Amino acid sequence: MDAKNASASAGQEFVISRVFSAPREMVWRAWTDREELMKWFGPKGCTIPHAALDLRPGGTFHYAMRTPDGREMWGKWTFREIVAPEKLVLISSFSDAQGGITRHPMSASWPLETLSTTTFEEHDGKTTLTIRWSPWNASELERTTFAGAHGSMQQGWGGTFEQLAAYLARA
Amino acid sequence: MSSDHLSTTFAALADPTRRAILARLSSGETSVTELAAPFEMTTPAITKHLKVLERAGLITRSRQAQWRPCQLNATPLHAVADFVEQYRQFWEQSFDRLDDYLKTLQKSRIRQTPKIKSTKEKNNGRKKR
Repeated sequence: MDAKNASASAGQEFVISRVFSAPREMVWRAWTDREELMKWFGPKGCTIPHAALDLRPGGTFHYAMRTPDGREMWGKWTFREIVAPEKLVLISSFSDAQGGITRHPMSASWPLETLSTTTFEEHDGKTTLTIRWSPWNASELERTTFAGAHGSMQQGWGGTFEQLAAYLARA
Repeated sequence: MSSDHLSTTFAALADPTRRAILARLSSGETSVTELAAPFEMTTPAITKHLKVLERAGLITRSRQAQWRPCQLNATPLHAVADFVEQYRQFWEQSFDRLDDYLKTLQKSRIRQTPKIKSTKEKNNGRKKR
């Protein structure tokens, strides 16, 4: 891969990672069992008034999330690859109550669908969980939008990011 | 801020040269010539990028001085930072809750383990029906 493609793909991925002090079978179950998933999925104070999980390739997780201020948001995962207890690959999108795919409420050109790959790696009884998102079936504009948001905030500013962050804090 | 504004800002930020220009402008206003210097680009090429940034409201160009200095306008950047922060917060807070949940699970498992063993021992002494 040449430098140009490397930086392009860096800008097209959004990555979040966390280490949990638990064996990965336990973390995997917390992700793939409906009752367990509902115990933690979503930010603090959010509730899940609806959750339908069909864990198989092609199956979906269709959920509603209610924020503490009463707003409701629907989302949908469509599973592509399920490798217990190591890897979960799915297509993630905003949704409506009927399970249809909807646009991002904040950005009309945000990718309708993103590919999300979650890996579970165990070392010394601890599990490193990593989620990577990238645009899926996206138009040029959708890919640009994704890169402009996640890419620019995460990696794209390079060595100058701290300078800009400091400026944002002042401005 | 409307969704169209946000999408326009994302499109402007998708280009590394334009991000570098913004980073340079965060240390103060400057001329187009000065901006072009580190990029090995012609002035017209830089001007093109500046127009995209200007349309997205990320910079303003003064009309008072003839050299039309460029200034950074951070307002749209705050909206982008907030947008990305929402994603991060969603998962960071979910992970916090998952961490708590896993800890609770492990504690209850430690408490239950001796009980399970003693039940098994009892069962071992019995005949299956």
